[in-house]
Amino acid sequence: MNAHKAKILEQWLKRALELFPEKMDNTTPVAVVFSGALEGIVSGLCNNDNDYRAALDDMTRILAVQSTLPSKALSIFLEPKLILRDMMMKTTVADALMPEEQEAFHSRLDALTLEAFDSYMQHREKIYQLKVEEGRRRMFMALRRAEP
Amino acid sequence: MSKYVPKVSELKKEFDEKPSVLKGNYSAQEWWDIPVEFRDGNWCFPGKPEVLEDLGFANPRKWAATDQDWQLPAGWQKTISDGLQSRLKKYRSLKLFLDACVRCGACADKCHFFLGTGDPKNMPVVRAELLRSVYRNDFPLVEKILKGFSGSRKLTEEVIKEWHAYFHQCTECRRCSVFCPFGIDTAEITMMVRELLNLIGVNNNWILAPVSNCNRTGNHLGIEPHTFVQNITSLVDDIEDLTGVTVEPTFNRKGAEVLFITPSGDVFGDPGVYTMMGYLLLFHHIGLDYTISTYASEGGNFGMFTSNDMMKKLNAKMYHEAKRLGVKWILGGECGHMWRVVHQYMNTMNGPADFLEVPVSPMTGTRFNNAAATKMVHIAEFTADLIYHKKLKLDPKRNDHLRTTFHDSCNVARGMGMFEEPRYVLRNVCNSFHEMPEDTIREKTFCCGSGSGLNAEENMELRMRGGFPRANAVRYVKEHNKVDSLVTICAIDRASLPPLMKYWNPGVTVYGLHELVGNALVMQGEKKRTEDLRENPMAGFDDGGDDDEE
Repeated sequence: MNAHKAKILEQWLKRALELFPEKMDNTTPVAVVFSGALEGIVSGLCNNDNDYRAALDDMTRILAVQSTLPSKALSIFLEPKLILRDMMMKTTVADALMPEEQEAFHSRLDALTLEAFDSYMQHREKIYQLKVEEGRRRMFMALRRAEP
Repeated sequence: MSKYVPKVSELKKEFDEKPSVLKGNYSAQEWWDIPVEFRDGNWCFPGKPEVLEDLGFANPRKWAATDQDWQLPAGWQKTISDGLQSRLKKYRSLKLFLDACVRCGACADKCHFFLGTGDPKNMPVVRAELLRSVYRNDFPLVEKILKGFSGSRKLTEEVIKEWHAYFHQCTECRRCSVFCPFGIDTAEITMMVRELLNLIGVNNNWILAPVSNCNRTGNHLGIEPHTFVQNITSLVDDIEDLTGVTVEPTFNRKGAEVLFITPSGDVFGDPGVYTMMGYLLLFHHIGLDYTISTYASEGGNFGMFTSNDMMKKLNAKMYHEAKRLGVKWILGGECGHMWRVVHQYMNTMNGPADFLEVPVSPMTGTRFNNAAATKMVHIAEFTADLIYHKKLKLDPKRNDHLRTTFHDSCNVARGMGMFEEPRYVLRNVCNSFHEMPEDTIREKTFCCGSGSGLNAEENMELRMRGGFPRANAVRYVKEHNKVDSLVTICAIDRASLPPLMKYWNPGVTVYGLHELVGNALVMQGEKKRTEDLRENPMAGFDDGGDDDEE
């Protein structure tokens, strides 16, 4: 799996950035964050190490404030399935992954996508919490002065 | 499953039918064919009818940006067209900016809204093109002959919707103009378009309500004089509890040497009030002969986001009050756009303020020749001068519980070229200061994403997108230097950066510069200080008493 890591990462970043209508240069803040986060996630996926939550949060924190639909935003996390399929179709028999390896990769991605949904929702809820807090802050001095 | 959850088929239908720049391939289309979309979180509520009536503004009505019909007044095309023509005659800068652009694209990826949304219409060049395309169609004859070829288009209701959407995704921060080889100031284009939109009642309540309040009571929040005084008095009580020192501000006192004006957010908002406490401690420390006005009780000027005339009117109030009170000069607090108005526009709008004197610091004798026209000195400059002349007794260790970075406020940095003074003050009042990456500070600073009246809570998603480049730079110093405190010198920053940090960088708190000054000031007759102005414990100053250790 690790042999395919760099290729998956490169393709994934390209497809993730396509979510934005205008090309995002690799030096833009979004591309920099995506690139770092996807690297963390791909490492986790390839090593079967589930310690990718922080990287996942970095991605969904950006996605959760974009105007795209949640389904479209989260489809980013299913892209590696398609990337892997394309890669396997083009690769030699010797380099191809065993079906069970591919199956394992797919189930890890499914788990990741569900976790991404949790993380995405957490950020959406945070947005609404911030709206409420902002309303409360407007009353700050009134509340402060009302305190004994 | 809840009955309120939309069905997959409904979501699919919405996705298929609702336009969005984030779906579909628009590469073969002209930019103006990409539809505008208003959805929750990306637009500000329009001005309330009563607010418009108070101000005598056009077309008061109830409406929303998501409505199909915006109820524009009869003949609105002519109003806009005539309005544009008269402004082109009046402001040579506007005509120059519309004519001079060569579409080099140097500005394209410099806008924080573009970097946060990836929307091509948020490239400053395209944003200006939204107006330029109409200007070309309506004006020079040759462009009429070359229609289509020259990129001109008719003024339709769709264009108005587009203007409303994208000129409210510009915070007038002017980062793009730093990179423009012609120095085109997109902020001024935005100002003009918002002024045109106000002529037909297309507006933003978060801007107009403060304008109306300021017009009536003297400040954006509509705080009446007695409440204004009560608030500051309650801060005086808090200062006494924390430091044992009684500061004694005066109000509307004729004959004071200095009139102090700050944004009303410092008197009413969290965390602005702690900055106010810092000012009060500073003035007491140096024995400044100053007064605060309950009429000119606002430094900010939302008129700047409305129209030139309104900006002028709200700015004039500060000078009328200075004249009435007979002060020598004005000291201005930590504010953003107040300083753009004062530094760039005041002198030709309401100046020269001949009835005032060129400001001279009574403590150091420094003559502020840079303020010779406006007679108004920025507090960071004033305090930096005091520190330079060793007039302040400071203990920077009292801010050792904070690891700071500094956010240059757009208007103070780019609008008046002040970079070093606040840094000089900050380095003298705290021991831990780390700069954000070079291309995100000083003249290249990134906006908070909520400037120019976009700070409405209903606009939260858009604000988070626009503020992302700034937040990402803070993240850098958070990770590399363990920074936990973002210091700034603008009231809008103090209001908008806390939610931005809570979203992108939890654990980073926002401070005003003079709040840190207030923490560090060693006051005469003070009691043992163990807490900062927010009543948070200072590091190494606990009651156990190891504050003498180096």
